[in-house]
Amino acid sequence: MSAIASEAPRRSWRPPAAVLGVLAILAVWELSARALAGAYLLAGPSDVTAYLWQNAGLMGRALRATLAEAAAGFVIGNAAAILLAALALLWPRAERGIAALALLVFCLPLVATGPILRVLFGPGPGPQITLAALAVYYTTLVPLLVGLRAAPSTWFDLVHSYGRGRLAELWHIRAMAALPYLFAGLQIAAPAAFLGAMVGEFTGAERGMGVLTIRAMRALDVEATWALAAVAALVSMAAYGAFGWLARRVLTEAPPVILAAPGGAATPRRGEGLARIAVVTVLALALWWGLLEAFGVNAFFAKRPDDVWAFLITAPDAGENRATLFGALAETAVYVLPGYLAGLALGAGLAVLLTLLPALAGAAMPVAIALRSVPIVTTAPLIVLVLGRGATGTVALVAVMVFFPTLIACLHGLRQAPGQVLDVFDAYASGRWRRLVHAQVPAMWPAFFATVRIAVPAAVLAVTVVEWLATGRGVGALMALSASLSDYGMLWSAVVVVAVLSCALYAVVAAVEARVLAIYAAEQGR
Amino acid sequence: MRMAHPTRRHVLGGLGAAGLAGLAPRRLLAQPTPVSLQLSWLHSVQFAGSYIAQENGWWAERGLDVSLAPGGPNAPVEPPVVSGNALVGISAADYTAAAVAEGAPFKILMVAMQKNPFVVASLPDNPVNEPADLVGKSIGMALANTPVLEALCRINDVDIDEIEIVPTQYSAAPLLSGEVDCLLCWETDLPVAMAVQGQESVTMLMADHGYSVHSQTYIATEDSIANRRDQLVALLAGEVQGWTRYREDTEAAAQLTVDRFPDAGLDIETQTLQAERQVPLMFSDLTDENGFGWWTDETVQANIETLALLGRDVSPDLWDRSILEEVHGQ
Repeated sequence: MSAIASEAPRRSWRPPAAVLGVLAILAVWELSARALAGAYLLAGPSDVTAYLWQNAGLMGRALRATLAEAAAGFVIGNAAAILLAALALLWPRAERGIAALALLVFCLPLVATGPILRVLFGPGPGPQITLAALAVYYTTLVPLLVGLRAAPSTWFDLVHSYGRGRLAELWHIRAMAALPYLFAGLQIAAPAAFLGAMVGEFTGAERGMGVLTIRAMRALDVEATWALAAVAALVSMAAYGAFGWLARRVLTEAPPVILAAPGGAATPRRGEGLARIAVVTVLALALWWGLLEAFGVNAFFAKRPDDVWAFLITAPDAGENRATLFGALAETAVYVLPGYLAGLALGAGLAVLLTLLPALAGAAMPVAIALRSVPIVTTAPLIVLVLGRGATGTVALVAVMVFFPTLIACLHGLRQAPGQVLDVFDAYASGRWRRLVHAQVPAMWPAFFATVRIAVPAAVLAVTVVEWLATGRGVGALMALSASLSDYGMLWSAVVVVAVLSCALYAVVAAVEARVLAIYAAEQGR
Repeated sequence: MRMAHPTRRHVLGGLGAAGLAGLAPRRLLAQPTPVSLQLSWLHSVQFAGSYIAQENGWWAERGLDVSLAPGGPNAPVEPPVVSGNALVGISAADYTAAAVAEGAPFKILMVAMQKNPFVVASLPDNPVNEPADLVGKSIGMALANTPVLEALCRINDVDIDEIEIVPTQYSAAPLLSGEVDCLLCWETDLPVAMAVQGQESVTMLMADHGYSVHSQTYIATEDSIANRRDQLVALLAGEVQGWTRYREDTEAAAQLTVDRFPDAGLDIETQTLQAERQVPLMFSDLTDENGFGWWTDETVQANIETLALLGRDVSPDLWDRSILEEVHGQ
């Protein structure tokens, strides 16, 4: 009976539901492509297959290049996340500082970091690997920090009664408790790494799927464009499936019952929060300045903290600079918030739906993964066609980027309902709905809030990419324009302001989370 | 201005190179001297003159080992030149002027595109043949290029408020699907793509209507001009030789480009047509008389006037012809 939780996902992938789902997707795709023939927007599966057949060599070489970059970034990014999480646990006083710095780095928009990485690394795959690593490390770190705490306090008492210390606690309890969260993180990371590597190729690469995508878009080569998108999606689905399979092999135990008394969480004193912000700010500024000086990066394009201060505050035209920057930010904010909320609602909603109707997963998961892994440059024209160039289109694009991590995190969270608790529901022959409301949803809260936090920078990153590549408005477009006009004062100021605002929003979400989890998952406050 | 320490720069360059299998390590003392040329876009026939020079050993015989760094939509061009990673970069007069205004010590050494490649592309049944035809039409373009359209309108007395600007991504699809009446793009990319797809289009070259901005300009820092003069002369001499051969046989140039970059996804039809279409932009009576890449005080003056409309205050000493004079005097 205790295998219920781990059986649920397996059942959802069993044919014929999955096969029917995929067939349905292919049919809808092919029919849409035929309906849009001549518009140079969409190629159907038949054309895509033909293209792949005829250009197998070219696509194979491009895939190998991008896959190598993505894999390297995936490994580096996730290893960094695991190291940071272990460090945070062994040295709890530093946890919030580590998390805050990690967040700050995750908030740096790739429109701005790409060119800087290119100058630092010179020719080669350096920027692609770095951008892939940056795209994944944070989405793994946050669930890991949650998972490392998702263990009953009695287990810790047991370890302590044997006279063992923190390391034993970390290895025997926390690492095991964190495994399901780690696997969910890796599943989210796989498509992100691939997309990060592709966008990294936009900074000047010789080969790869990103290079071919740019070429195909400009050449009106829709078959090539969608063949590239299909391959990107297939690779992501394969990686997602592989980690899911691995998780089911490794995680054979049902999640434990975690009983923690509400209100036990230590609420930080008022002054403590401010002091922490001050420490993190000083650290961030020191890192920023120190790294640029250590590598001797030229101040023409690598602005230091004092340059940004001057640009925004003390320079004669500082007022004008601020007006330009905040004007663009206001334009962006209109899209970010609705897109963020829509993405969260869609992701959580679909997760609940799939838990109630597992048969749907066969059709829904491939679409969800494809949406996340296909570059915006490819999908944007289609979304624009359906929803228009106005606010709806941009909001939808942001929602797409937010929706996938939310869906995966919530699905995983819903699975964390303890086996014994579900056994009780089964013993009373309760329906799916009752199980969902009383057992699964409460178990989902820690994972849900982790994703709500992660989704803040993800939404900001998404909107800057959409604005840069598709709509040409707002702060994303301002950053791209500043880079091409060598207005690096504006570029760095925009990066700083965007990162700080993302962190502030994140803090607001975290405050709400602390209140809710103090009731539903008090172990998270430990 | 803080400049990078040369030692650190080499360390960084070495790190980057170490990550790329097959890239020769930098040997500082060995001949020929390794230098880098930063291209402004992905490898394509747009830079075929460079490939011809490299293929024929015209740089090697001048003591240079030139590596060609590709650009891209998010690739920096001016920063590698400022930091010394690249000896020369391929920019455009407006971007160079912007960088100089921000403190970059650049000079323009050679002008590959005498005529700016910006066009307004439209379809034959609703054509834009001259600026006045823009009135009442919708144009798809990056909002970042609004100053370009404004300048064209000012020069030709067209009210820009009578034109509907639609922010689109850089593709011909919005024109072909009827979403917009025309596009702001380059003569050598989207119209070529449409032609290869069998779609006839009409292009109005902005350079024929007073928009004078040198494009595909070769830039270097004042420091390089003072201290690495021989290398600059050798690099540009190879370029001039390469582009001269290019003009003699653009089909061979396109073929060479496709063969050199089998992973770039280039197709021979597109590259051949692009190679053909950039000839009138790069070669003129002026270059026939004085040599490839040339300019005069008059063309510089015309550039300064257009750049002023783009909000750039530029003086003639942004252009430095001394290297090119040495090249053509050889």
